[in-house]
Amino acid sequence: MASADKLINTYVPEKDVFALHFLQSLSNLRTQNPLNSPDKSIDRVRKIKKAAYVSMARAAGGTSRLWSRALLRRAAKDDNKSVRFSRRKRKVTWKISSKRKRSNQRAPVVEEAAERLRNLVPGGGGMETSKLMEETAHYIKCLSMQVKVMQCLVDGLSPK
Amino acid sequence: MDLTQGFGARSGVVGPVTGLESLNFSDEFRHLVATMPPENTGGSFTALLEMPVTQAMELLHFTDSSSSQARTVTGDIAPTTLHPFGALTFPSNSLLLDRAARFSVIATEHNGNISGETANSLQSNSGANLDRVKAEPAETDSMVENQNQNYSSGKRKEREKKVKSSTNKTKSSVESDKLPYVHVRARRGQATDNHSLAERARREKINARMKLLQELVPGCDKIQGTALVLDEIINHVQSLQRQVEMLSMRLAAVNPRVDFNLDSILASEVSMN
Repeated sequence: MASADKLINTYVPEKDVFALHFLQSLSNLRTQNPLNSPDKSIDRVRKIKKAAYVSMARAAGGTSRLWSRALLRRAAKDDNKSVRFSRRKRKVTWKISSKRKRSNQRAPVVEEAAERLRNLVPGGGGMETSKLMEETAHYIKCLSMQVKVMQCLVDGLSPK
Repeated sequence: MDLTQGFGARSGVVGPVTGLESLNFSDEFRHLVATMPPENTGGSFTALLEMPVTQAMELLHFTDSSSSQARTVTGDIAPTTLHPFGALTFPSNSLLLDRAARFSVIATEHNGNISGETANSLQSNSGANLDRVKAEPAETDSMVENQNQNYSSGKRKEREKKVKSSTNKTKSSVESDKLPYVHVRARRGQATDNHSLAERARREKINARMKLLQELVPGCDKIQGTALVLDEIINHVQSLQRQVEMLSMRLAAVNPRVDFNLDSILASEVSMN
């Protein structure tokens, strides 16, 4: 793509990995609710959506990316399950985004956009702006991959 | 370890540190430093910029070799203090500092045209030294003696500003009074504050990542201005999330018709692309 990609690591696997994870999660859904389908179709939609996000997070990098970790944790909290995180030696940098030494230096244009991004991207609450943008780039790549997979699935399954 | 043995052997030598021995010492330091980088990834300007440490080391080595030239050029100098990251030396001789100040005064008057070759080499060396040294003030403070520090730090800043203005060939307004210093306001945003340095590094990081995002989002290259680009990025993320929701709804509608056989779905997917 361009030179920036070599410095910042935004690698997402191929489409097949996403497809595999998604289909597995869908088949799990199917086995969970056998022939007696839930009454409201909106529940089914929600379950499929959650399965899509969770499978995307797992395909994209498991717990090694920040947004996927937050997403998995959020999903597991709803089901009252616990997520197993792999312990990796990480450099702990304390950059609290609320504290400022000189507030006017931190480009208020960028900062308010970063605030909006934090609401969108899962797990964006505790990140510095530069880290947030890195996560956003990876998130966008994964989202587009997931959208492609789901589009293919829908096209393949829809009646001719 | 080998290094400690070498140090122990050398400490047995009695006598003042001559110029030659200081050169050998610097080799040891270089060797020591070459093994250090893997642990020393944080807490320096290179970490701020996320530059590979080897690149930073190369810069230091360059100044190291140039500083040795400076020593030979300026002749008899008092024994110099050593820097932990290479033999970046500050001349402790006050006489030398006066000469350096005079040379730099001449440089600004001619606006970069420097009279003597010695002045040129000295200034460029000191400028190169100061460039790198300025980036790691925490380490230098411990090594330079107090008197030198107080005396030369004032000169250091104004010398660096002058060198930067002369080497960058920028418009620099020279305001010269009757003082021995000449304060130059180096334009191009070359603030020498620690905070400003950190801010600049951070801003460059953010800009690099924004460029990356710009390439990712289709149609962002044409847009000028960071605000619109950021808006476009946010819109893109929102649209992607809405697409996921839409497709999941369609999948749910499609779902009850199909018997969820993994093989058949995979086959249909493969046939699609």
